[in-house]
Amino acid sequence: MHSLRWIWTYMREYKKGVFVGFLLVLIVAGLNMLNPYFSGRIVDDVIYGGDMPLLWVLIGFMIAVTMVKTVIRYSFQLLFERISQQIVFTIRKQLYERLNELDFRFYDRTKTGDIMARMTGDMEAVRHFTAWTTYMIVENAAVLLFAILFMFSIHAPLTLAMLAVTPVIGFFAYRMSSEVRPTFSEIRAQFARLNSVVQENISGNRVVKAFAKEEYEIDKFSAENNAFKEKNIQSARVWEKYLPVLDSLAGVLLVVMILAGGWMVIRGSLTIGELVIFNSLIWALNNPMRMAGWLINDVQRFIASAEKIEDLLNEQPAIRRQEQKKAAASTDCSVQFEDVTFQYEDEPVLSNITFGVKPGQTVAIVGPTGAGKSTIVNLLCRFYDADSGDVIVEGANVKEWDVRSLRKHTAMVMQDIFLFSDTIEGNIAYGVPDAAIERIQDAAVKAEAHGFISKLPEGYDTIIGERGVGLSGGQRQRISLARALLKDAPILILDDTTSAVDLETEMRIQRTLQSVLREKTCFIIAHRISSVKEADLILVLEHGRIVERGRHEDLLKRKGRYYNVFKNQFGDFDGHQIGKEVM
Amino acid sequence: MARNKFNVDEELESTFDINQLKRMVGYLQPFKTKIFFTVFLMLVASGAALSGPYLIKVAIDDKIPNGDVGGLALLAGFYLAAITVTGICLKYRIRMMSQIGQSVILELRKDLFSHLQTLSFSYYDSRPHGKILVRVVNYVNSLSDLLSNGIINVITDLFSVLVIIGFMLAIDVKLTLAALAGFPFLIGFIFLIKNAQRKAWQQLSNKQSNMNAYIHESVNGMKVTQAFAREKENEQIFYEVSDSYRSAWLRGVKIQFSLWPVIENISVITVSFVYVTGIFWLNGSVTAGELVAFIGYIWMFWQPLANIGNFYNAIINAMAYLERIFETIDEQPSIQNAPDAKILPPVKGSVQFDDVVFGYEGEKVILDQMNFTVKPGETIALVGATGSGKTTIVSLLSRFYDTNSGAVKVDGTDIKTVTLSSLRSQMGVMLQDPFIFSGTIMDNIRYGRLDATDEEVVAASKAVQAHSFICEMENGYETEVNERGTRLSSGQRQLISFARALLADPKILILDEATSSIDTETELALQKGLEQLLAGRTSFIIAHRLSTIQNATRIFVIDGGEIVEEGTHNELMNQRGAYAKLYQSQRRALQVG
Repeated sequence: MHSLRWIWTYMREYKKGVFVGFLLVLIVAGLNMLNPYFSGRIVDDVIYGGDMPLLWVLIGFMIAVTMVKTVIRYSFQLLFERISQQIVFTIRKQLYERLNELDFRFYDRTKTGDIMARMTGDMEAVRHFTAWTTYMIVENAAVLLFAILFMFSIHAPLTLAMLAVTPVIGFFAYRMSSEVRPTFSEIRAQFARLNSVVQENISGNRVVKAFAKEEYEIDKFSAENNAFKEKNIQSARVWEKYLPVLDSLAGVLLVVMILAGGWMVIRGSLTIGELVIFNSLIWALNNPMRMAGWLINDVQRFIASAEKIEDLLNEQPAIRRQEQKKAAASTDCSVQFEDVTFQYEDEPVLSNITFGVKPGQTVAIVGPTGAGKSTIVNLLCRFYDADSGDVIVEGANVKEWDVRSLRKHTAMVMQDIFLFSDTIEGNIAYGVPDAAIERIQDAAVKAEAHGFISKLPEGYDTIIGERGVGLSGGQRQRISLARALLKDAPILILDDTTSAVDLETEMRIQRTLQSVLREKTCFIIAHRISSVKEADLILVLEHGRIVERGRHEDLLKRKGRYYNVFKNQFGDFDGHQIGKEVM
Repeated sequence: MARNKFNVDEELESTFDINQLKRMVGYLQPFKTKIFFTVFLMLVASGAALSGPYLIKVAIDDKIPNGDVGGLALLAGFYLAAITVTGICLKYRIRMMSQIGQSVILELRKDLFSHLQTLSFSYYDSRPHGKILVRVVNYVNSLSDLLSNGIINVITDLFSVLVIIGFMLAIDVKLTLAALAGFPFLIGFIFLIKNAQRKAWQQLSNKQSNMNAYIHESVNGMKVTQAFAREKENEQIFYEVSDSYRSAWLRGVKIQFSLWPVIENISVITVSFVYVTGIFWLNGSVTAGELVAFIGYIWMFWQPLANIGNFYNAIINAMAYLERIFETIDEQPSIQNAPDAKILPPVKGSVQFDDVVFGYEGEKVILDQMNFTVKPGETIALVGATGSGKTTIVSLLSRFYDTNSGAVKVDGTDIKTVTLSSLRSQMGVMLQDPFIFSGTIMDNIRYGRLDATDEEVVAASKAVQAHSFICEMENGYETEVNERGTRLSSGQRQLISFARALLADPKILILDEATSSIDTETELALQKGLEQLLAGRTSFIIAHRLSTIQNATRIFVIDGGEIVEEGTHNELMNQRGAYAKLYQSQRRALQVG
């Protein structure tokens, strides 16, 4: 019921269309009763009665009724398709918008395949329900009601006798309905798993091949594929149990009619003519009852999927768009972290992080893998909310910012490069879709990407594969850097931006970036000392705590962690000698 | 390499081909007996159902006027028996239908998936992954109804049509011909709309594919989208993409739905024609009784005929999906086992490049006449600017691509002559872009060698310095991560992927930027463990960080697809060439000011 109410909120938008549609359905249901009548008249009056002129009239009627009926039917079918497509479009749109709103915590725990299943298979179930099941229910209910009313008007006792079967049908229909529902939930859950296993196989195809694990993948897939088959067959077992019963019970109506009707005729409480009329109407009772089982299936299938869609629509992002809140004001971006603590599940990631950056300064964050470096910048862009403490940008807590405007204020090069299957131009212009090609090229030049892009046969128009496959790691990083530079936001975040770039290129990038960095508040996460030594403030992070802070020279003098890292990297060169040189 | 993106329709190379239909029917082959048995049951059921009107006729004409209550009860008993038979047949039919349909779907999907496993990188690289996914999952599902219900119904309907034509012929030949008069018009109409319908449905499958690709990419790239606050633009694109899907759908059903009204009108006109001709001939060659019986049949005759028309309709629609499915199954993998490929015996570890020439499909040559030999157990570092061809060299070694000319040899055997799996299973490759599967961390590492014990997994993790951070997570090795691995930092993902490669215990180990996101201290610790692990293995290391490179047995400096310098760290430093320059520049970079 809940899901039906839910879908009604969408159908309500097209109340008029739905109403007209149902009306047309009723008209067709009525017209359906006419042709058997004409046909009967031809037999009785023309063939046996010899009334030849009537033949042409009846045939004329028959053809006219059919034409009208088919035209109306075609119209309402299209009408329902159109409404259903509108509804599906709207729901899909809402889902997509919701996906855009949901925060990283949601994406951290949700599989892509699961989302895909909702956006495709579950939406298909909703489409089928709104386009077909709804009017079929109305049509069958109408035919049933017409027939019952008509029969009542002719002979109430026989009608009641025949309807005595309906509670039994109702009972079985109810049983089926509650028994089939969980099977549909299982099918759609399995559908999501199937989606996930295929999706991961496709995305991870390089790993699969590198480890020659094709057989294993096929086994893994086959398990889900077989389970999908099993779940479907399980559902069919329920149908197999009830549909024949419902079908036979519909047939019992005829038995009741013969027995009770015949007995009544013999007793004289019913005329034989009335019995004949009953007989000609019995299909109108039979068919809807036969259909009932299938329609129940459709409804339950719809409910199983609708629940999943609703779940996703009701998924509340912890971090919401708040349009009324602070929007970008100045370009003077100061950033402050005040006693910030952050946990992931039960794992503490950041503890008591406090530091401040003045506009135009550069902060570098160094530290071991998993120390929480990326988390700091993720909190700054508000991809997560801190558990306690405040992150303050431009004097305002990030929670008071409109999220989108905060993010427009920052440009980030992520550690994990994601490029879209689009042209290189489209990828660089991702943040500024209408950027002129000159600006795009300018950004690429600054990111040292222009050189290799120009060498590609199609240059900036080269389409790169999903995730930028076909490019080397360093090339991808440079495109991603160009993408962030083009955005020209007052806060620039470089998270391990040049790790896959060779040193010479990296140094060139650093030189060109110097002028950019001076204009912006900048965060640099890196492992190479060479990338961070110019920073105004270097934070050394370990297990989520800042263990050292200061400028390069200060930190060296301290002979702590930073000094060790430095020494290690220097150790590559002739060790102490250079170390002394620097001191 | 022409790549496809989400808003570009994929061109279909094959044209309408009856063979594809035959191929699909081939999937039904194993169920031949089941199908015919089911059809037989269906005929029995419809026979039983047909007895209803007859029983009523007897009741009304005979039993009731005579007040024969016993006879009435007998008729009712007969009919009860008939509906029981129908019920049993229906039960059986539902069972068969789901078994046959689901089995065919299972097989088809399995063939498609298994074939995808043989396709090379270039296939995956040249189109959005969402477009591959939609084929395996959604397209195959679309065929389910056609393959179960559809096939059984159409065979049953064909039988009914034949039986009814037989009855009609028995009554009167001329009337039968009159009854069939509408048939050519129906066929004509079906042919008329066939092309338009086929095009509409192909269009639809394309739009569906585009939409799925866009959703897929949006989900995977959500971080970037949110970071760039580009939600509004993407929503706009998504509306357009899903709007084209909606239009394509409506265009498709507009054509599809037109078939039914046409059938119904033709049938009514035909029936009228029979009435008129029948009555015209009445008392000449046709008796009233015959005409009435005939009219009874003719209504029954058009129903299955209409169903067959609809089935044809459904086939045309399904073709749009079938074409895509078979197109994928027919895609030739660009790298495949040679027909007489042998199994590569356990590898000792020597690697040789003989005059290797290589360029990616239709693009310019990247490696030109490359020659080198690596002895078992050597550690080779590949150094050079991004795009110089380092990754290409190791990709050729794993035979992810084939050379244009020249040979890559392992232990003196040309790798083109051995099976891919025997080659790759003896190599451990750590790719630039570590992929994490959804599941536990334990499972992710174990991917390298499925029969590894928990202890071995832990040992590999310890060797790569991943053990401590894994233990810090709430469930340790049993912590669930998802396929994008978002919970883990890049460095952590690299370490997991590293452990995975080590666990595979390969004779040849390839580390492609394996440690780029790992901090220096972890890397140093890692190297100590690595030294033991590298012993006895031939390894290729691609790295920019010189600390990683220095300990290599030999260093190859790659530039423009050629090895420009080669030797140990000290030798190369003494040469004062490109390597020495690189080294000096890194050293300078560390100095303040």
